[in-house]
Amino acid sequence: MTAKSKITISRRTLLAGASGTLIASRAWAQQPAEVKVGLLVPISGLYARPGTVMREGAEMAIDHINAQGGVKALGGAKLKLVVLDSGDTTEKAKNAAQRMVAQETDLVAASGAYLSSFTLAVTEVTERANLPMLTLSYSDLITERGFKYVFQTAATAGSQAKQALPQLIKLAETASGKRPKTVAILTDNTGASIASAKAMREGLLAENQLQLIVDETFTPPLADATSLVQKIRSAKPDLLFFLPTVISDAKLLLEKMNEFGLGQGKIPTISFGIAIAEPDMLQTVSPELLQGVLTCVASWGAKGHEALIAELKTRYKEPWMTQNAISTYGDMWVIKDALEKAGKADRVAVGEALRTMDGGPSKYYPLGEIKFDEKGRRVGAGMTIVQWQTGVPVTVFPPELALAKPFWPKS
Amino acid sequence: MLRMRSLLPPLLFTLAYAGISLGVTNSYYQLILTLVPVWAVFGLSWNLLSGYTGLISFGHAAFFGIGAYATALGQIYFDISPWLLIPVAAILGGIAGLLIGFPTFRLQGHYFALAMLAYPLAILYVFEWLGFQEVTLPIKREAPIAYMQFADPHLYTLLGLALMLATIVLTQVIERSRFGMALLAIKQNEAAAEAAGINTLAWKLRAITLSGAIAAAIGGFYAQVLLVVTPGSVFGMLVSAQALTVAMFGGVGTVWGPVIGSVILIPLAEILHAEAGARIPGIQGVIFGLAIVCVILLAPEGLFWKLRDLLRKRNAPKATASDIAETVAPNVTTLRPASPRPATGEVVLEVRNLSRSFGGLKAVQDVSFKLHKNEILGIIGPNGAGKTTLFNLLNGFLKPSQGEVLIGGRDMSGQRPHVICEAGIGRTFQVMRPFLRMSILDNVVVGAYVRARTDDQARQFAADAVARVGLSAVADRVAGELSTKELRLMELARAIAGQPRILLLDETLAGLGHGEADEVVAVIQQLARDGITIAIIEHTMQAMVRLVDRFLVLDHGAVITEGLPEVVTRDSRVVEAYLGKKWAGHAAN
Repeated sequence: MTAKSKITISRRTLLAGASGTLIASRAWAQQPAEVKVGLLVPISGLYARPGTVMREGAEMAIDHINAQGGVKALGGAKLKLVVLDSGDTTEKAKNAAQRMVAQETDLVAASGAYLSSFTLAVTEVTERANLPMLTLSYSDLITERGFKYVFQTAATAGSQAKQALPQLIKLAETASGKRPKTVAILTDNTGASIASAKAMREGLLAENQLQLIVDETFTPPLADATSLVQKIRSAKPDLLFFLPTVISDAKLLLEKMNEFGLGQGKIPTISFGIAIAEPDMLQTVSPELLQGVLTCVASWGAKGHEALIAELKTRYKEPWMTQNAISTYGDMWVIKDALEKAGKADRVAVGEALRTMDGGPSKYYPLGEIKFDEKGRRVGAGMTIVQWQTGVPVTVFPPELALAKPFWPKS
Repeated sequence: MLRMRSLLPPLLFTLAYAGISLGVTNSYYQLILTLVPVWAVFGLSWNLLSGYTGLISFGHAAFFGIGAYATALGQIYFDISPWLLIPVAAILGGIAGLLIGFPTFRLQGHYFALAMLAYPLAILYVFEWLGFQEVTLPIKREAPIAYMQFADPHLYTLLGLALMLATIVLTQVIERSRFGMALLAIKQNEAAAEAAGINTLAWKLRAITLSGAIAAAIGGFYAQVLLVVTPGSVFGMLVSAQALTVAMFGGVGTVWGPVIGSVILIPLAEILHAEAGARIPGIQGVIFGLAIVCVILLAPEGLFWKLRDLLRKRNAPKATASDIAETVAPNVTTLRPASPRPATGEVVLEVRNLSRSFGGLKAVQDVSFKLHKNEILGIIGPNGAGKTTLFNLLNGFLKPSQGEVLIGGRDMSGQRPHVICEAGIGRTFQVMRPFLRMSILDNVVVGAYVRARTDDQARQFAADAVARVGLSAVADRVAGELSTKELRLMELARAIAGQPRILLLDETLAGLGHGEADEVVAVIQQLARDGITIAIIEHTMQAMVRLVDRFLVLDHGAVITEGLPEVVTRDSRVVEAYLGKKWAGHAAN
């Protein structure tokens, strides 16, 4: 397969060189009708649900791009999505990545792989194969290895906490009339949660004049949240940062808070990450308990995405558009833009295009531009704050993307 | 000769595998080819402990993960090359094995398995707490070879193969040595192994140390292949399960089992993941699980044993009936009734005021007797009289609450069984647990190591012992094909292979037919004539009367009487103990 396409290209180059522009323009017309783009996400096992949502986002984007005429620089070539299952372990993810680069040799770029530990393993493979990889994983580590072919579209974990805190305080102040002074942190010990909590403990809270009065780390899944909630009740913090990854933990804690009379906003509860805003939450937790709960996420369906949210709803029966759907949707457009800039369906050229592109303000990722710094991080990447309002988590921050006004739970 | 012959198959296999690997240019297939030896070695390390000793470990990920993290963190924080770190990982794994083994070997069976399960899970949380949720190996662009980062994926496969070959050869060497025999004996019956003079705790600790070292080394190599280490990917349940899966699928307790399991299962899982999983996500797990269930149902001990049994059946179509008839060798002259051998007077074993109680129950109380050189002492008594407990006190399974056991004048009470065995006491058991797949000779060799200095000498002792019980003609047959009588004789041979001065026989005649019992009696008599002192527990009085020189009668843990057979059998207290008061009167008449 590889050998064959190489021969074709070299013959074509030769002909073009020998016979001038006429034949060269014929070569344009012979550009492949399809350009393959990879999506390496978990579609089986423990993380199948978010992976499936990512695929839905990608499929929608591919359909929209093709419907709007494909890649114009390649004579209207259509994009074709190649989906690979990263499974539910790091080893499976790495194997899938190896399969992707070995057997899908004509991919120009890919997106994936949900969990940051998967992305770390996958990009070890794609980097060596010069395959550009866009990712919504936000571990700082991903873009700290000096890789050239990894592009992180979300703000990194450290940066997210930094951005979120002042906004949350401002929100609390305007809504309740007084500035919060004390906070509690309840976090599980998974990678992303630990990273966010660490950033807060080591400086961010102090910078924002917040005093940490309860600091508890637990291992999911929780068997009982009583002792945790008792600690919060006796300390009475102004804010509770609650960082679960497992839905059952979120349910357990919220129910226990309610039982103790702390729920439904008596103590404003703020999360990081999308676990607490996944559609699956509603299957186990009642909307009343969730009302007012805030979460800081890297990206969310927001203002300007109304049509997309509606389409996702009708086409895939998804109640709202999570980070997984909108970010992956955006990834496909970025790859398309890079193809336009590169002018050829070649992974190295696409990588170069991504590194040098300046695509202006971002449409699908929150804030910032479609431009990557030398580490591969998106320039000016912002984040969104989402709030549960009558059974739907809606974007309430930043104001230019907000679909609803935030309310501060009344105590 | 033997060494070369056993070395050839793994060498040929490795060469063939390397040949296939070099022919594969697709980097994905190459990665799978690298992972096969990785999991095979991990399975082999598990097999070394659990396959041979029968102590199932659900926690081998503990060692694997320690190796992986040692290799990763050593590179990140100290900039040490993995060429050095993998051996270091092996040492750490060995130490971990020792530390884990020492407390955990107090447990047996399911309790051991469950306790082992806890270690990797506990360590997993420690690594999460330490903040090592995601660790990536630093890329070394300047000196890739020095840091085991090959551009050519073939090299990973070759390195994995080299590790596998080394592990296979090591396992083979162990299998054939005293080490392997000790482990197999532990698997059959740990108590019997101790009684045969094997220091079971020491051998088990050696096994878990070596097993931990191998698992950690391959864990280190795995980190090098995966380039990313997370607690879940090296300490997780699935990692421990992988070792069990490949070993149990391929065959437990054999060097080829984990290799076969890995060669089949790892590519199968990947193919299913790539092909079936692409159509119906998740179906790969279902098919994989079903395949394993089917194989386990059809070949419960693994593919290797199933295939070997099939081959054996085909190659040996008729077990020659004539062989079996000739099992009683001519060197045993049947002698009956027993001519009383005058006791030489020398006391080889003396028991003084021995007592042992379990809570309120006094199983043995204040028992004293002397065993004279060259006599056969019969210990009788009704069920629950404390006969077996007495034996357990004599050979060290139980510690006496009170009293002394003097062997050759030296107080040995409270010593470990293997120490007492070394002092010259052999024993057999009421319930036999032969290793059914091993030949008679191999079964007996286990008992010889207590005296033998070398493996060759042990074989010699074993062959002698087999000859003495008259099983030479069938010495190469596997124990699974033997009759009860032959098994009893084999147990006897194992006990005398250690060249004991005193033999404790626990119901050696149980379950034998009339004629069969006579044959065994003849063998025991011959042993006594050859100079071994024997104490035997038995229910069947009939055979005993002809066999023994003297009786010791126990009831409710205490000695009722002691004396010559004809006197004891008429003693009304003995009859009462056996049959109740009502019959005591009849006996007197």
